[in-house]
Amino acid sequence: MSLLGPIPLGIFVYIAIGAALLAVGAYIIKMRRRRFEVPFSQLWRRVLEQKDANSLWKQLKRLISLLLILIILGIVLFAALDPTLGAVDRKARSVVVLFDASASMKATDGSEDGKQTRLDAAKARTKRLIDSMGGGDVAMIMKVDGQATPMSRFSSDGPMLNKIVDGISASDTPADLTRALGAAADALRDRKNPLIVIVSDGAFPEAQLGLVRWDEPKAGPNIEKDLAAVDLSKIDVRYLPVGRRSDNVGIVAFNVRRYIANKAAYEVYIEVQNFGQEPAHRQLALYNGDTAVDIKRIDLAPGQRLKQIYPKLPGSADNKLRASLRPVEGAGGSDAFALDDQAFALLPERKKQKVLLVTDDNLYLEGAILVYDNVDPSKITPAEYDARPQIADGFDVVIFDDHTPAVMPPPPASLLYFHPTGEHSPVKIRGSLANPRITESDEGHPVMRWVTLSDVYMDSTNTFAPDHKKGETAVAYSVRDTVIAAKRDGRRKILAFGFSLPSPGRESATDLPLRVAFPMLLVNTLDWFAGDQTDLLTTYPTGVRERIPLDGVVNATEAEVKGPDGSITKTPVIDGLATFYGARVGYYDVIAKDAKGTPIAQIALAANLASPTESDIAPSTELSLGGKKLDAPEAFSITRSRKLWIYLVLFALALIVMEWITYHRRITV
Amino acid sequence: MATASASLTQIKASAAARDKRVADRSELFDERFLKTLEHLHMVSRKVFAGNIRAERRTRKVGSGIEFADHRTYARGDDFRYIDWNLYGRLDKLLLRLFEEEEDLHIYILVDVSDSMAIGSPLPKLHYAMQVGAALTYVGLANLDRVAIIPFADRVIDRLPPSRGKNRIFRVFDFLRNCDIGGKTELAECMKAFVTQNKRRGLAVVISDFYDPDGFEQGINTLRYNKFEPFVLQVYDKREAEPNLHGDLALVDCETGDTREVTVSKSLLEQYTKAHESYCKELEAYCTKYAMPFFRTHTSIPFDELVLKIFRSGGFLR
Repeated sequence: MSLLGPIPLGIFVYIAIGAALLAVGAYIIKMRRRRFEVPFSQLWRRVLEQKDANSLWKQLKRLISLLLILIILGIVLFAALDPTLGAVDRKARSVVVLFDASASMKATDGSEDGKQTRLDAAKARTKRLIDSMGGGDVAMIMKVDGQATPMSRFSSDGPMLNKIVDGISASDTPADLTRALGAAADALRDRKNPLIVIVSDGAFPEAQLGLVRWDEPKAGPNIEKDLAAVDLSKIDVRYLPVGRRSDNVGIVAFNVRRYIANKAAYEVYIEVQNFGQEPAHRQLALYNGDTAVDIKRIDLAPGQRLKQIYPKLPGSADNKLRASLRPVEGAGGSDAFALDDQAFALLPERKKQKVLLVTDDNLYLEGAILVYDNVDPSKITPAEYDARPQIADGFDVVIFDDHTPAVMPPPPASLLYFHPTGEHSPVKIRGSLANPRITESDEGHPVMRWVTLSDVYMDSTNTFAPDHKKGETAVAYSVRDTVIAAKRDGRRKILAFGFSLPSPGRESATDLPLRVAFPMLLVNTLDWFAGDQTDLLTTYPTGVRERIPLDGVVNATEAEVKGPDGSITKTPVIDGLATFYGARVGYYDVIAKDAKGTPIAQIALAANLASPTESDIAPSTELSLGGKKLDAPEAFSITRSRKLWIYLVLFALALIVMEWITYHRRITV
Repeated sequence: MATASASLTQIKASAAARDKRVADRSELFDERFLKTLEHLHMVSRKVFAGNIRAERRTRKVGSGIEFADHRTYARGDDFRYIDWNLYGRLDKLLLRLFEEEEDLHIYILVDVSDSMAIGSPLPKLHYAMQVGAALTYVGLANLDRVAIIPFADRVIDRLPPSRGKNRIFRVFDFLRNCDIGGKTELAECMKAFVTQNKRRGLAVVISDFYDPDGFEQGINTLRYNKFEPFVLQVYDKREAEPNLHGDLALVDCETGDTREVTVSKSLLEQYTKAHESYCKELEAYCTKYAMPFFRTHTSIPFDELVLKIFRSGGFLR
């Protein structure tokens, strides 16, 4: 602890000069007198004539007063330089304590009776380390979990550092040792006698333990690896282990997916591993919402990893899935780490869409729609629609077959047009082509997934002039002319085909309905309208930064993340992708809002520990970094230096009080 | 510099506020004041019961009825006053002299200089005017001829001698509207006063007597010109015992002289002594020459002071 902290000497000199000038200036101002009107100054003159005899002494007293002020100022500035009594200790060390606050530190083996966690034990050891520091030693506490967070600056204030250590809590993420070592090495750069102390259970991935170097990089085949490694040359690294037990059975993988062919059904994948040295017995339960889908007993040999697949599970209203491990009575049921006994997953939401067909009996279209089981179709004629457009209210999708209405259905209904014409076309018509061929398509567009249209026949088609400023894009081209165009209009999506489907009297309009691509094209379109992406992941490991696509988000730059504990944080959104970092296991909601605060996109996510390294809680009594075994920290050298600033400040305060008393007692005036 | 100019601005503002307060004399002589005067008049009549009103015998030989003396006849004397009986007995022409009866002239001289504007809660000037008005009223009621002369560095104005209670309102108007302000120059003012007023009489000087040139010459001018000086010193308690401390620049409100001083407790004590000593000097001077002297501060109600004056018998004889 020091009075002004690390202020550079140059700035300090400026401060000193400024303060001295200020003091003298203030003294001059102090000498300016308050004016007071008297009726007869001769009387005062008579009195003062006697006093003037000792005016020299009076002036002297004034100078003493100024001198006293300057002495006080000098003392304060000297105190700010943080003077130390006694010889400078050349063995004084700069220490960065890397305090492991990863998930494995929640293991309840900090004490024999299991009442303390590893984190509690680590705090006790760290505080003992801080208390043993000498007067010249300084330390910085850095919390290590999925991130490296400095909790203090370098300080010799033991009580303050202990208080910081007491305030650390463990997160649900794996530890990122490489990041932490890099941050500590940067903090210790150019400091004398640098020391890093890792207080941890040693649960780090092998890859991280090898990503350090102790020497300067040398030219050769390994130069790239050396440059990528953390430079720990000239830094003493020590390891302070915590942890006692290794008995733990944990879920190391848990995920769920819908079948592509039958999206109403899904399958679940679970991996469970016994990290203990003894056989373990558990009850593995799978829940969909609050409903138990499956409960079974599993027996695991030491180190055994069990992979469990639950195929063809029927869908339900609740899309939240939870896997849980419970000990069974008898031997092999003890577990020191509870965090990995539960895992969470989410099924991508799936809604049955209400589809309105506006057509004069198109067997190809109606047949293809009816094949898809996740729609609720209705049909009206174009004349009926034009007579009463509000009939489309409440539908999720409206398909216009060879008809371009003057009045569009209101948002958020998505629209599919076949052969739109005229000024009411959703995308501006550029012209028309006879016997076109699809020469190019946007394969990245969800509508074109697994679809090829290269040899589709069309007798004619309208072409579009998509305007990117209006959110319009080309999906398929005939040479340079857009034949299929897509458009985003807020939450509404529109797809327009420039050509007609075959209909009575125009059977040879196109052969598309006769191809395999046609139902796939329709399914893709309906899935795109619903925001349903088959390859969307909703379950992520904690401690990893992920980019999550937010469907329909164009202009938002920020989204809210509601965590498992109800806390709400902000996260940036770039190009429709929100950054997600799960620090706790459980369910999250990522919500993007428009300028008025109305939600425009929302996605639910699940985060699990899913880290065999963290679940393997067996403590490492030894730790090797880059092939070098780390020793336990040695005792700090005891120095007898004493900080003087507090005494100097007290002395300055005493002088100020003395000056105040003498001034008001008219001794120094 | 900024502090000094701020202080100067502050003092100017304070002086302006004070001048405004002093200049506003509309409430000085209200109904209540008039009642107090009436009361004073009644009291004065009881105190001086039996005295002859408006009759003061003078040594001046005139056309009175009371025999005073004889003197040798001189050419030009009125034959009617020759004492023929004595001529028959002594064979000398002697003239009978009678004491001439005349009204007493009372001159109320009120100091209206800048130093009189100081005082709290009542400025000394207002107090002096109230005392002056009270004495005037009693004088008028006793059928004396009372004149009021405000002065500072010169005789500022003059309300000619008048008689009768009903003239009191004119007196009020005069005191309300007369000019005020200026330095105190007692000697010059008294010199001008005696020049302008040939009829001798009682000259009541109401002032703080804060004259840098001293009070003696002014009072002596009255004495030498056969006026009967009646000295009434008015001061404010806070100017006698000021509540000051710290570093100050003392500014004389009349001369503008500035003196820097650090006021300590001992200095204040010395000043209080000096003020008392100055007042004592004035008192001793008056006593020495048998002039009635009264010293009062503005905290004493003016009617109390007037009664004290009556009881002393110095004002009405």
